[in-house]
Amino acid sequence: MTPRAGIAAGAALALAGAVPWLVGPYGLTIALNAAMWVALTVSWSILGGTAAYISLGHVAFYGLGAYVVVTSWQVLPLVVAVPLGGLVAGAFALTIGWPVLRVRGPYFVILTLGIAELVKYAVLNVEAALGASSRLLFGVPDNRTLYLATLGLAVLAIIVAALVRRSRLGAGLVAVREDEVTAETIGVPIGRYKVFAFALSAVIPGMVGGLMALRSAYFEPLQVFNPVISFTIVTMAVVGGAADARGPILGALLLVVVSELLWANAPQGYMIALGVLLIGFVVFAPGGITGALARPRP
Amino acid sequence: MHRRTFLALGVAGAALVAGAAHAADPVRIGFSIAQTGLFAQAAPSQMTAYEMWRDEVNAAGGLDVGSEQRAIEFVWYDDESNPTKAAQIYEKLITDDKVDLLLAPWGTPTHLAVAGTLEKYGFPMVGNTAASVAIRQVAPGNIWFPTSAIPDKIGPALAALARSTGVTKAAIIANVLPFSQENLEYLVPALGAEGIEVVINESYPPDIADMTTLLTAIKDSGADGVIALSYPADSFLYMGQAKEIGVAAPFQFLLVGPTIAAFADAFGPVADNVVTLGHWSPHQAAWGRAKPFYDAYVLSFGMKPDYLDTALAYMSCEILQQAVAKAGLDKDALRATIASETFDTINGPVKFDGVENAITPTAFLQLQGGEMHLIWPADVATAAYKPR
Amino acid sequence: MTMDLIASPQLLFSALVLGAGYALVGLGLNLVYGTMRLLNVGHGDLVMLGAYVAFWCFALTGLPPPLAAPLAAALGVLLAEALHRGLLHRLLGAGAERIEANSLLVFFGLSIIVQNLAALAFTASPRALRTLDDVVHVAGVAMTESRIVILLVALAVCGGVLIGLRATVWGLAIKAVIDNGRAAAVVGVDVPRVRRLALWAGFAIAGLAGALLAMVEQIGPFMGFPYTIAAFVVIILGGLGRLGGGVVAGLLLGFVQVYGVALTAPTFSSMLLYGTFVAVLLLRPQGLARAARIRS
Repeated sequence: MTPRAGIAAGAALALAGAVPWLVGPYGLTIALNAAMWVALTVSWSILGGTAAYISLGHVAFYGLGAYVVVTSWQVLPLVVAVPLGGLVAGAFALTIGWPVLRVRGPYFVILTLGIAELVKYAVLNVEAALGASSRLLFGVPDNRTLYLATLGLAVLAIIVAALVRRSRLGAGLVAVREDEVTAETIGVPIGRYKVFAFALSAVIPGMVGGLMALRSAYFEPLQVFNPVISFTIVTMAVVGGAADARGPILGALLLVVVSELLWANAPQGYMIALGVLLIGFVVFAPGGITGALARPRP
Repeated sequence: MHRRTFLALGVAGAALVAGAAHAADPVRIGFSIAQTGLFAQAAPSQMTAYEMWRDEVNAAGGLDVGSEQRAIEFVWYDDESNPTKAAQIYEKLITDDKVDLLLAPWGTPTHLAVAGTLEKYGFPMVGNTAASVAIRQVAPGNIWFPTSAIPDKIGPALAALARSTGVTKAAIIANVLPFSQENLEYLVPALGAEGIEVVINESYPPDIADMTTLLTAIKDSGADGVIALSYPADSFLYMGQAKEIGVAAPFQFLLVGPTIAAFADAFGPVADNVVTLGHWSPHQAAWGRAKPFYDAYVLSFGMKPDYLDTALAYMSCEILQQAVAKAGLDKDALRATIASETFDTINGPVKFDGVENAITPTAFLQLQGGEMHLIWPADVATAAYKPR
Repeated sequence: MTMDLIASPQLLFSALVLGAGYALVGLGLNLVYGTMRLLNVGHGDLVMLGAYVAFWCFALTGLPPPLAAPLAAALGVLLAEALHRGLLHRLLGAGAERIEANSLLVFFGLSIIVQNLAALAFTASPRALRTLDDVVHVAGVAMTESRIVILLVALAVCGGVLIGLRATVWGLAIKAVIDNGRAAAVVGVDVPRVRRLALWAGFAIAGLAGALLAMVEQIGPFMGFPYTIAAFVVIILGGLGRLGGGVVAGLLLGFVQVYGVALTAPTFSSMLLYGTFVAVLLLRPQGLARAARIRS
């Protein structure tokens, strides 16, 4: 990182940290959204951006983290429960990672979607068996606290993702993206690398899920395991440009801002406008924002 | 017209309007709608009630706010069926849009999520489409629930109804989603208390694609009462497949679904004499506002209202309207009025005790010849129960 | 649950109806993926549009859904052509992996647009129609007429497409493009035309499926997503681009859900569906029918 970039990043972080004291309560909820999506999308890109293994199942990690926090509510303190949610999500990714990551391309995309649905229905069954039909949480932390915690996770995700990209692990994952067979032939331990990156990309979403369960103060499996969350993560990463480290951050921020503008000003048509925007990006800027910036127009 | 003349006239007109601005200012009423996402199919049943109420009030000269009548203007956003987003919207409506009044979003989780925001700003709102024992855990004072369909009351009432119709052996099938499971929790002991034997008790996921096994088992069990604690999609599946397999139990209950207009369209006479949850019917003559509301709705939208959600949504508007007429727009006065007054609604009188409706009884509807009749309890019934 | 139930032909009928529906919805998606590598996550929305065609035809003119099905299929063809001209040609120039990732997002965007336009046009209120709902008893099996129609039409379309692939020039050309587009071009197959035909066919089948399913389902603007997921599960399970494998996988999933519930409990219905899918894929990473040839 150049000194100038370092100063810019420091200033951005200071500004983000000061948000609760700069904006009103509604502005804070938008900032909380932004921090949440940055944390999720950047985490996703640890495997999805480097090795181009597109997971459509990240909501499973988010949901598991939320479930851990909700089930341990008033049993464990939150400083334990939220990281535990991340660990459970990471452990789950580690467990399924080895067999799942043998599957490639569209098979992997849909397999991860299927696994997330399977987890959703398993949790629904467990909840029904426990007779826990509606879980309402009282005394949850206020939005300022949740925002600062989520911002912390977003920063952590950015740091981890940057470290991975600079490491041998990152180089190996990029080699997987370029040509998996060749990478394996020249001795890259692709199996271990992929599984490790998959687990790493699951931990922070697990913790984010835990924080978001506190935010809504009500737990319903269909909400926290909603596959639309996975689709949104992938959309943000690709709009930003998943191959570049900055892409997922820019993509998440752009979509939060755009959806906020459209949503507030065009309540009837904003979903349609969002769809048009997405298609426009893929067709006219297939490398995402960062791709378009890096490659001057002919 | 010359452009300058036009401008001059415009300025003069604006000045005139400004003089009378206070009286002409509309009352801004905010809410969120599940326009997209999981609950999107249910939301129109609520939105149509809001729109009809607004148009009626505006046609009659506006909302009586105590001292004057002002037109109603809606400020609404899509909450994407996401309770967290809904809470965020209500925060925006209160702090940013500075609306005068609020109407409710759709669904239990969404109501519970916005309850915190209402509490934070001390902004009163009459809820509608929420039904869960969890509503009692919400601090009273800023939110009220006109529904009488709360699972711990539904269970005993349903068991009593089943017994009164002669059910001795009941088969229960339940969706794993919260409202069904909450009902299951209170229903099973209540059936036991009424001396009804539970011969089948199975749960199923919300997207179950086939019920052949379940319904064959029910048919073979000799159950004379089938209680399906279902959501709309599985109510449809049940009805179609129960007919195919020939489930002949005289008492058949579906939790949520038969009150939706499309249900009658899909099954016609096949669904006749199915019993369902609901506390409102246009046929109750004692509720003077019920039939006019029904007729006006059918005229406006070309379809029947949802007997549960549309009725509740409209009731919440009526309660708000009457409270505002008495208390004006001041939040404290409004809160005190909603909490203490008795309101005249399409569902008869409503008075709140804490967050709950203290008057409307937990009741059941039966589809008879395409019409929804109240069959339980006796004091509000509009028709006698008929076995299938 | 007893052995009597397992042996009951009633269960067999239900499994076939369910499975044939899965197979039909999967077939359209597989044609589009196999020839063009497009991951159409808006496939279920075509089913939704087909269902609305059937609903409005029935509501306005009384035309029964089986007769409205060709109209729904025609709508599918129109949409396919419009999409091909307006958008897809821009996507298809890239390599296969690029096409897959980009098409996933383009179709996600289209899906959002179509769903919300449908909601604006028709409102999100659920609709339903009643037709062919008499129950016929044959050899002790109770069958609703509409479900018989779904089963027969779905099997006929699936069978017709599979036979057509082997027995007609266009079918063989489609098969060649699925197996290896570049080689097909070398031996003189007009690949762009074949792809276009497959796109038409895929969209038409989805529309037709929607018109049939309108007889037994609630119709609404957001009904498509579960069909999208089901269709993907079917074609991945059968092996991408393997049309026969997809049909078998669709039928299999119908049997897994119906008999799986009979052998375990209804509460496992959805877990059986996804569990089978996940388990098969973990054991055979390319689906039931090895689709190792899918590489371009």
